[in-house]
Amino acid sequence: ETLRLSHQWSTQDVRHKVAQMIADEVATAEVDLDIRIFPSQSLFKAREQYTPLSRGQLDMTVLPLSYAGGQRPEYNLTLMPGLVKNHDHAARLNESPFMEQIKATAAEDDVIVLVDGYLAGGFVGKDRCVTGPADMEGLQTRAAGKAFEQMLAGAGASIASMSSSEIYSAMQTGVLDAANTSSSSFVSYRIYEQAACYTPPGDYALWFMYQPLLMNKTTFDGLTDDQQTALLAAADKAEVFYLEEAKKEDADSRQVFADAGVEIKDMTAEEFEAWRALAQETSYTAFVEEVPGGQELLDKALAVE
Amino acid sequence: MDPLLLGGLVAIVTILVLFSGMSVAVGLLVVSAGFLIIFDGIRSLELMPEILFGKLDNFALLAIPMFIIMGASIASTRAGADLYEALERWLTRVPGGLVVSNLGACALFSAMSGSSPATCAAIGKMGIPEMRRRGYTDGVAAGSIAAGGTLGILIPPSVTMIVYGIATETSIGRLFLAGVIPGLLLVGLFMAWSIFATWKSGNLAVLTPTDYTWKQKFEVLPRVLPFLVIILGVLYAMYGGIATPSETAAVGALLCLVIAMVIYKLWSPAALWTVLRDSTRESVMILFIIAAAGVFSYMLSSLYVTQSIAEWISTLDVNRWVLMIAVNIFLLIAGFFLPPVAVILMAAPILLPIILAAEFDPIWFAVILTINMEIGLISPPVGLNLYVINGIAPEIPLKTILTGSLPYVGCMVLAILLLCLFPGLATWLPDAVMGSAV
Amino acid sequence: MDGLERGDGVTRTIGWISTIAGWIAATMIVVAVAITCQMIFVRFVLNSSTVWQTEMVIYLVISATLVGLPYVQKLRGHVNVDLIPIALPPGPRRAMFYCTLSASTLIIAIMTFYGAEFWYTAWSRGWRSDTVWGVRLWIPYLSIPVGFGLLALQMISDVWAVAKGYDKPFGLPDKDPLAARAASAAEGGH
Ligand code: NA
Ligand code: NA
Repeated sequence: ETLRLSHQWSTQDVRHKVAQMIADEVATAEVDLDIRIFPSQSLFKAREQYTPLSRGQLDMTVLPLSYAGGQRPEYNLTLMPGLVKNHDHAARLNESPFMEQIKATAAEDDVIVLVDGYLAGGFVGKDRCVTGPADMEGLQTRAAGKAFEQMLAGAGASIASMSSSEIYSAMQTGVLDAANTSSSSFVSYRIYEQAACYTPPGDYALWFMYQPLLMNKTTFDGLTDDQQTALLAAADKAEVFYLEEAKKEDADSRQVFADAGVEIKDMTAEEFEAWRALAQETSYTAFVEEVPGGQELLDKALAVE
Repeated sequence: MDPLLLGGLVAIVTILVLFSGMSVAVGLLVVSAGFLIIFDGIRSLELMPEILFGKLDNFALLAIPMFIIMGASIASTRAGADLYEALERWLTRVPGGLVVSNLGACALFSAMSGSSPATCAAIGKMGIPEMRRRGYTDGVAAGSIAAGGTLGILIPPSVTMIVYGIATETSIGRLFLAGVIPGLLLVGLFMAWSIFATWKSGNLAVLTPTDYTWKQKFEVLPRVLPFLVIILGVLYAMYGGIATPSETAAVGALLCLVIAMVIYKLWSPAALWTVLRDSTRESVMILFIIAAAGVFSYMLSSLYVTQSIAEWISTLDVNRWVLMIAVNIFLLIAGFFLPPVAVILMAAPILLPIILAAEFDPIWFAVILTINMEIGLISPPVGLNLYVINGIAPEIPLKTILTGSLPYVGCMVLAILLLCLFPGLATWLPDAVMGSAV
Repeated sequence: MDGLERGDGVTRTIGWISTIAGWIAATMIVVAVAITCQMIFVRFVLNSSTVWQTEMVIYLVISATLVGLPYVQKLRGHVNVDLIPIALPPGPRRAMFYCTLSASTLIIAIMTFYGAEFWYTAWSRGWRSDTVWGVRLWIPYLSIPVGFGLLALQMISDVWAVAKGYDKPFGLPDKDPLAARAASAAEGGH
């Protein structure tokens, strides 16, 4: 039996490696299960994977869950500024009642999570460093995610919405002054060729995005016991690898940008708190207003130590 | 089923359906639906509308209607005739001078647009009727624009280079620079062929130079001014950091409409409606084919045909140049059926590791791949530029467009050979500007 | 020139519906141009946020494409390659016309049906785009069933026109279609 796994990243990306690891492990287990990976949006476009996944026409995907936030607004909480402090905190969040509720929502769409994982990100500036809210004033910015757009607009930035493939040339010609996304994407889109300053996720990081490996529940239930066991064993192994790699990605991105001659400037504790206060007023408020039961879900997330 | 056999079956069915008189876009949907039902089950039809919608959900495609409006508004006024009159008076002694200038215009437009059909539509709308009126053969008129339009994805900015850069994690800036010299090389080859073909055709109407006085030559110049305004305006908007390449097209469209209305008094609602009707007809036709070709690509990707063949090539244990020839043949055939972006998405991640293992330069390979994709744009059965030309110049039979384009395919094959002999053509400029690759 | 010279009430009415769809499509493209220019102005001159423009423009161009389909069908603007029909004698050519157009109408009807289902899902579940603007997705998705539905209607009208003898299969004359094609090409080229 062949399962189809689609994702949007290149074959060098950590998220591809996680998928590949599961495919390899399952193949080694010899349970007559073959996972065929379609990388780089070669089957479905990034934001069009959730619907076929929930209908069982796509078996597996590695997906930033907030991409489906338009269908399930609860998912927007998986990309909320300042909600996650660091990778170990993210790992604790994955085991919390908050994530339980998110997974219950996914189950309503016939979707289960096989591998949990968060990736962190930072900011780049074309001409100057962006560490605190004051640095954002008057900059043309492209942010990854709705909640970040709301927060950056609150900091006085102007939001230019464009596809991720246009970031590079927009920074090159000066249409964009700053951008925010995951550290892996900064590296894979080679933004270091266009940036003057990089604020990587370090002791303080604002941007954490939940990017699990998802599977259609009906498809999973239809597998034999042996196949399910092999898949779950592979998923456990991949989850450990994913967490280690996620930490390494941040350090790697710092190195790559530094090697490219880009200035590296970390966010201070005060700046982090200033961002968080701003997010409370902007993105958190908007989320609670938009989502029925949003406050309760937010409290569950904030309760995780 | 063996992927080669399945691929052959898809190819034969596609050719039969597309030559049956069914419109190209609908034919692609019919073939896709048929294979999806057989290999993925009837439920996969549920996904087709969403996939079709998703293929159009791309800001870069916006440039296509915009550039068509540019071409249509200019073509409907005296502006186009003025421009070509000026070119005629200045280039009268060059055999094929008008083709040469149209190819120059294609190269210039390629620097403004990242898409080949858009380039083709913008220049062809004016250029083809003018060339035919002045006695060029249909083959040269249509073929030169179809081929010149393909430069849109080689000369930066380029949609396909961006997609390649993201899929293979290579520098997009480096890729853009790598396309410049091969792009100019291709323009040169296209021009050389056009001059030769025109000279050989012995067509007196085109070959006999008219003696224009200097006064006649200079008095037409002011009438070319509006074009300079448009071109400088668009280039400034793009390279001056005002707008992204796709947005720039809208500036161009607005400038052209305003100039047509103010300078050429294109006031009447009937005249304006004609411009809009023609632009809408052509944009809808092209975008529908692009969307349907996207559904077709989904079908092929889902059947894993392209990927299987690429994987098979990667297992070949042969000399690096034999491997390169195999890769080129594969890309050519894939290009017959698939639009460039689809080929890159499916094949580049599989082919790139073997290209690197054989110690070829990934930037250089991007240029080779792009030229192969350019050939695909002017080859049947899915040749977007052929259909664009057929849409804007319906009086030229598709067969003539096709035979007219063939010599230009020859130029592209020659360019690939030159790039294999002198890889520096692609790698020198990025290395010179951005330093040697790590 | 609009192909309305010959026909009856049915083909004329459907033709008019398609033409109105064409006007709407043309308007949407012009609005998309205007909004893009407005966006560049807001961002470059006013240095303010441009939150909704990109999305709006994309949805306008997609909707223009889909809603414009019936009009382009009516103008015979959808490119086709009629190598096989040209090679056939008039009788089989007519049969081939009915064959290809039924297949076309069938696939477009399928697209209309599943497009309507997709639209209904987005509408009933209140799907929005995952942006700050958060547009209700049923609005742009509506163009799928509308555009394909009207295209199917225009295709049926085209079959009707051939069956009633208002039009020739593939628009080709019975006698020597290649010569006629060449003659019209020569005429077009002066
Ligand atoms: Na270009
Ligand atoms: Na082709």
